[in-house]
Amino acid sequence: MSNESGSLSLRAENVQSSYRALFEVALSLFERAKDAFFYSSAYLVLVAIAEVVTVTYALSVELNAAPVVVGLVTFAVYMGDRIADVDTDELSNPDQCAFVRRHYRVLSVLSAASYGLAIALSMLGGPLALAITLLPGAFWILYASDWLPSVGAQFSRLKDVLVVNSAVVAAAWAVAVVFLPLAFADAAFTSTAAVVFAYFFVDTFVNTEIPNVGDRAADEAIGVSTLPVVFGVARTRQILHALNLALVPLLGFALLAGLVSTPVTVGILVGVAAVSVVVSFLGRTDNGRLLSVASEAKSLLVVGVVLLASTAGL
Amino acid sequence: MLTTSVLVPLLFLSIAMGAAAAILAWRERPEPGATPLVWLLFGQSWWSMCLVFKLRASTLASKLFWTDLEWVGVVIVPVAWLLFALEYTGRDEYITRRRIALLAVVPVLTVVLAVTSQYHDLLFVRPQTLESTDIVRIEEGGLWYWVIAGYTYLLGAAGILLLLGLLRSKAVTFRSQAVALFVGLLIPWSTNALHIAGALPTSGIDPTPIAFSVSGVVYVGALTQFRLLGTSPAPRKRARQFVFDRMREGAIVVDANDNVVDMNDSCVGILDVDPRTTLGASAQAVIPEYDRLPDDGPLDGHLTVGTEAGSHPYDVMVTRIDNIRGNEIGRVITFHDVSRHLRQQQRLQVLNRTLRHNIRTETNIIHGYVDRFASDEDAQIVKKRALRIEELGRKGRKAIELFENGRAGANPRPLDALVAQCVRDVRERYPRATFSYDSSADDAAVAHFLAPVFSNLLENAAEHASDDPNVDVTARVEDETAVVVVADDGPGIGEYELQVLDAGSENALQHGSGLGLWIAKWGTEIAGGEIHFTENEPSGSVVTVRVPCLAEPADEDGE
Repeated sequence: MSNESGSLSLRAENVQSSYRALFEVALSLFERAKDAFFYSSAYLVLVAIAEVVTVTYALSVELNAAPVVVGLVTFAVYMGDRIADVDTDELSNPDQCAFVRRHYRVLSVLSAASYGLAIALSMLGGPLALAITLLPGAFWILYASDWLPSVGAQFSRLKDVLVVNSAVVAAAWAVAVVFLPLAFADAAFTSTAAVVFAYFFVDTFVNTEIPNVGDRAADEAIGVSTLPVVFGVARTRQILHALNLALVPLLGFALLAGLVSTPVTVGILVGVAAVSVVVSFLGRTDNGRLLSVASEAKSLLVVGVVLLASTAGL
Repeated sequence: MLTTSVLVPLLFLSIAMGAAAAILAWRERPEPGATPLVWLLFGQSWWSMCLVFKLRASTLASKLFWTDLEWVGVVIVPVAWLLFALEYTGRDEYITRRRIALLAVVPVLTVVLAVTSQYHDLLFVRPQTLESTDIVRIEEGGLWYWVIAGYTYLLGAAGILLLLGLLRSKAVTFRSQAVALFVGLLIPWSTNALHIAGALPTSGIDPTPIAFSVSGVVYVGALTQFRLLGTSPAPRKRARQFVFDRMREGAIVVDANDNVVDMNDSCVGILDVDPRTTLGASAQAVIPEYDRLPDDGPLDGHLTVGTEAGSHPYDVMVTRIDNIRGNEIGRVITFHDVSRHLRQQQRLQVLNRTLRHNIRTETNIIHGYVDRFASDEDAQIVKKRALRIEELGRKGRKAIELFENGRAGANPRPLDALVAQCVRDVRERYPRATFSYDSSADDAAVAHFLAPVFSNLLENAAEHASDDPNVDVTARVEDETAVVVVADDGPGIGEYELQVLDAGSENALQHGSGLGLWIAKWGTEIAGGEIHFTENEPSGSVVTVRVPCLAEPADEDGE
């Protein structure tokens, strides 16, 4: 009897240690996948796709290849940026730089292949879709241009100018997200499109300024003017709140004017609320990176709410 | 017959691969060739894009619009290819704004003619017809069409010629890169050639952009696998020129007709000439005693060249330059200034004579006087020291002879006989010592000047050992290397002495007790070998000399 119970307890211990080992392997795999997901900017691909799907629904155009193209371009541009800045980001983001260095070759080929594929796919949408897809690449070339030194230098200086730096990024992003589905569907730019464009412009502007709070000292040292550098953190919080909440009356007007549907309005308002929460924490937490990711990832929440509200028949 | 349903997916692939390769190449800037390669890939992608839009266009006007725009990509490709080949092979000195502008004249004119094609038939012989296949047929073949086609093929061939050298490169990387580049270029161009010849059933569509899909795959492969722009042959040409220009020896290149075609900076100084007037001149007028120079190989003796700064003797070497068929196309003549070397040789001769004659004379005189004045213990010490001075002089002479013999050449001698002779000589001088010699190197031959090496090792073993020293000598051959081991049962060689030998030189603070071991070390090194010192059990030293075996001696009795 005692032998039997001893053998049973030994078996239980073996099973337990096997489970523990399995759990540790799973945890390690999860950690690695999480690193790859964030450091490779793959999560931004999901964010971009969610935004284009939101636009496609809001503008009532047929689902087309635009979300895939925007996702591919997002991956290519952000990954390309991380590859190009791997030396300068060493101090501010050592883990991400280590990841990029470790997988440099694969990430480099993947990002180039992504852009190549995006360009090829965008041709399905015609010359306008191709031009919009090439736009981020053109900005990229101008940024690093030594072919056109004067233009490149002037363009590079834009990132040092207050508001203009974030506005350029917001405009480029909003153009890609809103105009690409239109180009693919061969649809006209309507008042609804203008409202959606305004939302994404303001949203991206706020998203761009949020990480600037954490980078305040570094930006100030290299002479880059951002809202936190010029106005301080508290005033930046107020400005971003104001910009974010200005979307509420805009959406209310658009809803009343019949420009946007109820599900879209609900979804975007949820997004505005989420950004408000994030902005409230600015300067009040040490985990600035989490705030940036939360602010960007709320697009997944928005598209989820829009689709749910639509399914619920709102 | 190719249809749009087949063509368009292939073109998509071509665009995707071309764009991806262009981005990879862009990231490699400023590596040599990166920027032209980006343009090349941009050109071919543009060409493919316009073809896609042309195929998908629904009206004749828009099809013609895309046909005209296609030309931008068509004309970029050959220019970018040639610029790439120039930059990649290290000929970037030919790439100037002016030359690029000249290269671009024909392409720009072509684009202008394409845009204005409704007013003339220089590029296309119209009319066009919209066929049931949805493909616009353009009867190409206007006068300018053949001009740009010829121009394109001319630049393509020029680029290939520049890259041909890489195919013969010793480095596998460069050969692989060259093969990838050729495949990437030749597939679309052969497709284009077949199209122009009317050999492809493509309904009048130029299928070259489709072949670019293969180029794109090849270029991506070359960039990532063969490090096309990461490992670049560009510096090679410049480095060779740099070495030629900056080498200390003077070098002059003459053609098969004995005219000077190139010379380096040192040679300008040696011959004291103006390169502007010398290049192209007859070598006889430039190089003194030119007729004495051999067709190939070293000049016997020295060549004295006199300039305003004085005259210097030179070792002259003539090296034939052959073409790929083995025919002589010129010669390189190098001048190595030996004046310093000759001065050192003269000094050694003086030193040799002094050591040979003066020291011996002086020690003999000391001997004579000491015998006359005294016979006590002090006199014996003086005589012993005088003998030691004479011995040092003898070793000095041996060292100088060793250097001279080393310079004169190896002159192979049988190892066995050489070592046996040394053992016999030393045995006579040290009768109290017991020598044993064992050889298994019957056929091996070594440099004749190794005799003082073995003699000194044997003397060292016999001289510093106990009253009745035993010295064991063995000679054998291991893998084309002659191994001679001298083992004794004496007090052994001091650690300090070995450290001095290991350091390779002496100074006031660190010096050995004589020249014997130095001679052994120098001689072994001159013969291309190595010498090792270890301790013997229970006492004494083991010295191992390893020198390369030489070919069989020409004269077995020539010791």
